[in-house]
Amino acid sequence: MTEGAPGIGAGTPPLPETRTRRRALWALGAALALAVAILFSPVIGSVAFSPWLVLRIVISGGGAIFAPCAAGTVSCHVATIIVWQERVPEVLLAVVAGAALGISGGTLQGIFRNPLADPYLLGISTGGTLGASLVFVYGIGEADANLVLPLFAFLGCVATGGVILLAARGRYGSVETLLLTGVALNALLSSILTIVLLYNPIASLQVDFWLLGGLGNATWSVDGVALGVVLAVGAILAIHGRELNLMQLGNDVAQSAGVDVRRVRERLLLFTALATGTAVAFTGIIGFVGLAAPHVVRRVSSSNYRIVLPGAAIAGAAILLGARDFSLWVLPLTPLPIGIFTSAGGAPFFLYLLYRRRRVTTMGGL
Amino acid sequence: MNEGPDLAPAVRVEHLTVRFGARVALHDVDLTVRAGEFVALAGPNGSGKTTLLRVLLGFLDPDAGSASLFGTPVAHLSVRERARRVAWVPQEELVRDDIPIFDYVLYGRYSRLEPFGGESDADRVLAMQILTDVGLADRAEDGILSLSGGERQRATLARALAQDSPILLLDEPTSHLDIGHQLDLLDRVRRLSHTRNVTVIAAMHDLNLAARYADRIFVLSRGRPYIDGPPSLVLSEDLLGRVWSVAADLRKDPRTGTSYLVPHHLIGDVASSAIPPDRGPVHVVGGGGAASPYLRELTDRGFRLTTGALHLLDSDTETAEALGIPAAVEVPFAPLGDEVRAAHRRFLASARAIVVAPFLVGPSNLANLDDLGAFVRSTPIFLLARPPEPAWDFTGGRATGIEEQLRQDGARTMPDLPSLLAALESALGPSSKPSSASVGTAAG
Repeated sequence: MTEGAPGIGAGTPPLPETRTRRRALWALGAALALAVAILFSPVIGSVAFSPWLVLRIVISGGGAIFAPCAAGTVSCHVATIIVWQERVPEVLLAVVAGAALGISGGTLQGIFRNPLADPYLLGISTGGTLGASLVFVYGIGEADANLVLPLFAFLGCVATGGVILLAARGRYGSVETLLLTGVALNALLSSILTIVLLYNPIASLQVDFWLLGGLGNATWSVDGVALGVVLAVGAILAIHGRELNLMQLGNDVAQSAGVDVRRVRERLLLFTALATGTAVAFTGIIGFVGLAAPHVVRRVSSSNYRIVLPGAAIAGAAILLGARDFSLWVLPLTPLPIGIFTSAGGAPFFLYLLYRRRRVTTMGGL
Repeated sequence: MNEGPDLAPAVRVEHLTVRFGARVALHDVDLTVRAGEFVALAGPNGSGKTTLLRVLLGFLDPDAGSASLFGTPVAHLSVRERARRVAWVPQEELVRDDIPIFDYVLYGRYSRLEPFGGESDADRVLAMQILTDVGLADRAEDGILSLSGGERQRATLARALAQDSPILLLDEPTSHLDIGHQLDLLDRVRRLSHTRNVTVIAAMHDLNLAARYADRIFVLSRGRPYIDGPPSLVLSEDLLGRVWSVAADLRKDPRTGTSYLVPHHLIGDVASSAIPPDRGPVHVVGGGGAASPYLRELTDRGFRLTTGALHLLDSDTETAEALGIPAAVEVPFAPLGDEVRAAHRRFLASARAIVVAPFLVGPSNLANLDDLGAFVRSTPIFLLARPPEPAWDFTGGRATGIEEQLRQDGARTMPDLPSLLAALESALGPSSKPSSASVGTAAG
């Protein structure tokens, strides 16, 4: 009703443009680097193949597009199977799970306006672990372990997310209350898990191993499911950058500017639980990615959530892929669980970013 | 958004009551603001200014009454529609990320964007225009954390203005600023309100600043409207004394001709400006004007009242209406009907204490006394003493008999108002402060 404020365009200073362009360059560069890393990562593995052979196999789609091997070269056919059936699915799972954890972490840090929020702190992942441990303890569906275990882990995550969501519905569900609800839930679920495992030592070992996280379950069908869910959920999360930007100014300000805070918060919590659940279901518990990925983006680029969310997906994918490559490069024959590497390798790099001379002041001055 | 500003007032608040548990934050507030007006909300801390703004923003649902923006109740507007009508400048905005000021102002365009759409060049031009208006155009690319407090508040104003909403609400916008920046910000707000025809409602501590900038000052005292009018009318020594408990001199600025107050010292207790807790409900039985003084006094002392059963056109009925007290009301001169008696009994049942004013009892209202018998053992009943003259019982002694029975069953006789108050205090718990009998009724 007051559109057409007087004098628009007349004598207005030039619009700031450079920043936008610089951001676009960053995003493009990061995506390109990730693409290259995806192409070359299958080179790394327990058996050494020539990079060009591997690249040929990858580009040929495992022989679907063109034949990567000359007729009669048995070793090449073996390489094709190893690369295309083992390594490429592993690489893709690392990328998909890393992206899911990264964007989940970014979203949760945004909702809670807290630089420490991630799916672990809130108990979402612990819920997944509890779900998985039920499978080990009660030997549920041993015949279809590949299906039942991810399903229970996924349901554990989503159920925990659901409980936090219910708390968020309450009229007085302030951000702090909600965060503390998650933390308390995490503690509760952890203690239940401890009790369950205390009485089941054998299951306890299996759960311990599962807890360390890994890409060993990767197959093309696993990748297909994970990619489908994470693409859909990630796309929905990623378009909420504007809302999260306003929510950083306080829920009241966001509300006054037109953001339906309660609804947005519920929606984002739900989709975060779905994304995390998918990652946890197929890779177990891989720590640190969800926490660090958004901060990496803030440090190198911007605190704008329209950048942070897709950026955290890319950064999360890169961190997990890097951890996979590094772990196989260092110990090609006895691969250690990848979760060890994300933390052991990621933490020093993260600390370096934090203590480097600041370029961008980020969340809460962290 | 089809009703133009000329058809409906920008803001209309009617009989607005908001409670926080037992505390009454706003009580029966009426306020109408025309489009383009600059209204200052004044009042001591805790008088309900912020609560009123929060109702207009849709953050709080009223317990009674309504608030509408350009004719549409706030509750009927979606969050987005509301944002297109009202923008908000908080006291101090929490900004932690060092976002570029230009981006920050663009955030304000959110409610104007297509769903899933981005900002167009027109949005960016508008943001830049507003930054020019608030004097921050040359800082557009700087991080917001690099701004000083005064500049930061101007940036917040710019973000709110970018919403392009016809109503702008400000909550103590200058309380963190030095005097120079206070004047600067309010100058800009007033200028923008005139050039853009924006309706401004600003909660303000400083009466002198309010008088200098606002077209109108609306003073709240303990959640109730105290006075509403142009600054020249509102500003008075009496006002500062009664509402703020501060003795002051009213002076006139020879240069501008505007009035201003020079505060001297506290009179009494500042805490008296706090909103008293909600005590009640207390039911007052009356009729023929006998209840009116008690309705007024008890309302003033923070008791939540009900009354009845009364007849329409009775002066007690009018008093109850003026004070916003729920009443069971019958048509004139008829005996009390079943429906009204049922309503009366509901009031009696939920009352924590019952006061019987010295009203004249005839056949048409004898039921008022008759109904008390059922409650005398469960609820404290206070009968005000009746003077020997004139006669009050026109029922051939039945009313006198009922009162006698009530006394025997535990009802207490109160010789006067002070003893009634003391009895009510001890029955319902003491008020947060001693009531100062010298201060008269607020709303007058």
